[in-house]
Amino acid sequence: MASRACWHHGGGKGDRVSRVYIFKRFERFWHWAQAALIIALLVTGFEVHGSYRLAGWERAATLHTQAAWALIGLWVFAIFWHFTTGEWRQYIPTTERLDAMVTYYVSGIFTDAPHPFRKTRLSKHNPLQRLAYLLVKVLINPLVWASGLAYLYYNELVAAGIAGPGGLSLGVIALVHTGMAFLMLAFLIGHVYLATAGHTPLAHVKAMITGWEDLEEAPADDAAAAPRESSSAQGATP
Amino acid sequence: MTNRMLHLVAISALGLGLQALDAQAAGSDWKRGRVYYQRVCTECHTAKAGGAIAPNGRTMAEWTAYLNADKHAKGKEPLKKYVSREYRASVKATNKAAEKYLEVPEDQLFEDIKAFMLKGAKDGDSPASCS
Amino acid sequence: MVKPPHAVVRCFAAIALLLAASSVCAEGDGASAKLLRSTSDHTKFKVLQQDFASGPEVTRACLTCHTEAAKQLRLTQHWRWEYLNPDGRRLGKQNVINNFCTSVASNYAYCTTCHIGYGWRDASFDFNVDENVDCLVCHDTTGNYRKAPGFAGQVVTKDTEFPPGSGNLVKGVKLRPIAQEVAKTSRDTCGACHFYGGGGDGVKHGDLDSSLASPDRDLDVHMDALGNNFTCATCHMTQGHQVPGSRYAPTAVDRGSARLRGKHYKTNPTTCQACHGQTPHKPAVAKLNDHTDRIACQTCHVPAYARGGVATKTSWDWSTAGMMTADRKPMVRKDAKGRVVYTAAKGTFGLAENVIPEYVWFNGKVTYTLLGDRVEKGPLPTRISHFEGSADDGASMIWPVKVFRGKQAYDPVNKTLAVLHMAGTDDTAFWANFNWEKAVAVGMASVGAPFSGTVDFVETESMWPITHMVAPAKKALGCADCHAARGRLDKVSGVYIPGRPGDHAAWLELIGAALVVLALAGAAIHGVARLLASRRRKG
Repeated sequence: MASRACWHHGGGKGDRVSRVYIFKRFERFWHWAQAALIIALLVTGFEVHGSYRLAGWERAATLHTQAAWALIGLWVFAIFWHFTTGEWRQYIPTTERLDAMVTYYVSGIFTDAPHPFRKTRLSKHNPLQRLAYLLVKVLINPLVWASGLAYLYYNELVAAGIAGPGGLSLGVIALVHTGMAFLMLAFLIGHVYLATAGHTPLAHVKAMITGWEDLEEAPADDAAAAPRESSSAQGATP
Repeated sequence: MTNRMLHLVAISALGLGLQALDAQAAGSDWKRGRVYYQRVCTECHTAKAGGAIAPNGRTMAEWTAYLNADKHAKGKEPLKKYVSREYRASVKATNKAAEKYLEVPEDQLFEDIKAFMLKGAKDGDSPASCS
Repeated sequence: MVKPPHAVVRCFAAIALLLAASSVCAEGDGASAKLLRSTSDHTKFKVLQQDFASGPEVTRACLTCHTEAAKQLRLTQHWRWEYLNPDGRRLGKQNVINNFCTSVASNYAYCTTCHIGYGWRDASFDFNVDENVDCLVCHDTTGNYRKAPGFAGQVVTKDTEFPPGSGNLVKGVKLRPIAQEVAKTSRDTCGACHFYGGGGDGVKHGDLDSSLASPDRDLDVHMDALGNNFTCATCHMTQGHQVPGSRYAPTAVDRGSARLRGKHYKTNPTTCQACHGQTPHKPAVAKLNDHTDRIACQTCHVPAYARGGVATKTSWDWSTAGMMTADRKPMVRKDAKGRVVYTAAKGTFGLAENVIPEYVWFNGKVTYTLLGDRVEKGPLPTRISHFEGSADDGASMIWPVKVFRGKQAYDPVNKTLAVLHMAGTDDTAFWANFNWEKAVAVGMASVGAPFSGTVDFVETESMWPITHMVAPAKKALGCADCHAARGRLDKVSGVYIPGRPGDHAAWLELIGAALVVLALAGAAIHGVARLLASRRRKG
C-alpha cells in the first residue's frame, strides 16, 4: 500500500490523510517545558563553565540552579506519568526496522521515499528515536542529574567523607557534568534538525504543539477512539 | 578686620582659649570632634569650598580666634550654624555623622570639635596634617 | 495568685532599659558618659597629681595601684619582641631580618621608639625592670603621647634639640594630663605603632594605616567610627595584657563556631569565625557558605588593601641607595603624586594604594630566612618569610597576602643576610655616611656574626597576611572576580573553580566541541542535501 501520494505535494489534500492524537497534553507540556529548561541550562551552564560571558557568572549560576531544580521537579512528574500510563514502554529499544530507518535518513529522505515508520499512539517513536531517547534517559539524564546534585551539594559530600581530598573531587564531578552537557547539546542539535524531517518541515513541531499528527492512509476508524496495533501500523508501510 | 585687630583678637583669645582648653579637657571628646570635623566640615569643604583644611594649617591662637569669632563664609553666617541641631537634622539623611550625633548638645559638640582642632594645630600637642 | 513577670519579659525590660540608658549616655552629655565609663577618675588620684619628669616615673605611679600590671606585660611579645616559632626557631622583632628596614639589632635607639618600654638602647637592656614598662603608649586617650625616634623609647618631657647641634627641636610631652586621662586602648594607641610599621604610615602592612584611626564604613565595616566603632581589642580580646592574634602565630583555619558567653575557648579569639561562625551568609546567598571551608573570609571581604588614602610600600630596593645630587647632597625623588620614591638613605620604593592582594594557600605555618641561613642568588627571590600550605594538605585556606618584594644587602661570601647599622649619629651608620661595608661590619659585629667584608644585594620576598580593612558585604568580591578567566585566584592551583578555563580538561573540551561541530555539520549537510533533492524533484 504505497501512500506517498499526498506527502509534500499537497495533492489530494484531506482525502488520504487522517489526524491522529499522538501527544497528550501532559506530554506536550513536559516536552516544551523540558526543551526550554534544557536550553536555559545549556546556555547558563556553559557560561558557568567559562565558555563565554553572557548574563554574568553570578546570574548564570543562579539561573542554572533554579532551572535545574525546575527540571528535576518536571522529571519527577514525568517519571510518575510514564509509569502510571505505561508510556515508558515507548522507550523499549528495538532493532526491528532500525536498518530501514538508517537507510531512510541516508537515502530515502532525498528521493521522497516513504517513511519506514508510522506513528501511532502506542508507538510514537521510530526505532532510532527509541534508541536516542533511551540513551538520553538512561545515560545523560541520570549522570547530569547525579553530577549536578553532587556539584550542588559538594560540601555536604565532603562533610560526609564521600568527596574531598583523596576522594571524589569537584573537578571529576564537573568533568562528568560537562561531558554530559556536551552530549546533551549534540543531542539537542540532532533532535532539532530531525524535527524538520517530517512530511513538511514543521509537521513534527506542529504535532508536538497540538498533539495531532497528520498521518496518511489511516484506517477508517477514529484514531483517538481505537488505537491501532503498532505492529499492524508498521506493517502498513513498505 | 585689619591684620592688627586680628592679631589682638588672636592674642586675647589665645589666653582665654588655652585656659578653656585645660578646663574643658576632661569634658570634651576630641575623637567625636575628629569624626564631625572629618565627616561634616571637611566633607562639605572638599565638595563645595575648594578643599580640606588641615588643623595644622593654623596655630592654636588662630583657631581659637576663628572659633570664638563664630563667623563662617567670610562672616555671612555664624559658624555655629553648622554644629547646630537644626543643621544636623537637615543633613542627617545624607550624612551619617550628623545622624549619629543628632542628639549631642550643640555646646558639647562644639567643644569636641574645638578640642580636636586645637590639639592638631600647628603648635598643638599633636599636629594633625590630615583633614 | 499573681504570677511574677515571666523571665523573658523581665529580661526584655532590662535590656530595653539598658539600651535606653546607654544611648542616652553615649550621645548625651559628656559628664554622665564619663561617669559610666569607669569606676576610677584618674584625675582624682594623688599619685597622678604631679609633674612627671620621665616615663618610668609615671609607670611607678601606675604600679602603686596596678600592682601586677608590669609583671603581666613582661610576659608579652610586646615587651620581649621575641616569639618562639613552633619549628623551634626564635622569631620576633628582636631576631628577624625583614626586607623593610631589615633589623632591629644595632639600631635599637630608633627601632625601640615603638617598644612598649623605656630605654632599650642596646642588647644589654634589662627586661626585668618593672618601671621600664610604658603604660601610657597603650593607655593614652589624649592622642598627645608621643615618643621621638632616637631616644630608645624614652619619652621626651622637655624640648630637646635632636640630634644635638642639628637645630631640630623635639617638643616635650606633658605627662601629667596624659597620665590623668588614661583608659582602655584604642585604635589611636595601637595605631601609634602598628599603623607606622616599616618606618612610616601604612608602609609595612598595607591593611593597617592611619586612615583606620577614624575610618568610615567603606574602609572597615567593623571599625567604622560612626557605626560598630570596634577598637583593636574588640577582636584582639586581651586578658591580663596578653594580646592574641599575632601574625607570628597566625590562625589560618578556624573551624569553630561563633563564640558563646560562658563557654571556655582556648583558640585564637581574633578570627572572623570567632564571631561569625562557619555559615555567616544569609539564606539568599547561602551558596557562599559553601566557600568557607576553603577560602578565608578575608579573601572576598578585603577586596583591596591600602584603601584609606594612605599608600603602602610594595617594593624596596636597597641596592640603589646612596646617590648624591650634583651639589653632593643625598638625593630624594618623588613621584607625580608627591610621594617619596627614592632617598639616598633607603634606596628605591614602590608605592601603591588600593592594592589587590595576591592569594596563596596558607596552613598557618610561616617559614623564615634568618641571620645565618644560607642565602644564594638565584632565579627565585630569597623568602624572608613565606606562608606554607597547599590545596591538599587538609589544613589550608586560600588567603590574601601582601607580597613585599625587596633587594637587600647580604654577604655573598658567607652567604647570609646582612645586619645593617642604619641609624645613629656615629660615622659607621649607613644613614650618616652611606658606606655599606662599614654599616654591615658594625651591624654584623653587633650580633656576633662573621662578615667577609663584601656586600652584595639579593632579591627577597616577604609575606604579610591581609586581614584588616574589611569592606561592607556589598563591596566584597563578587562571584565573577574568581569564577572567570584571569580572575583573582588565577594563580591558585589545586582547586577546581567553575568558570576558570585553566581548570578545564582539554581533552573533554576538544571532544565535546568536535561532537557539537559534527552534529551541526551533519545537520547542515543533510539539510542542504534534502533541500537540493526536493528542488530537483520539483523542477
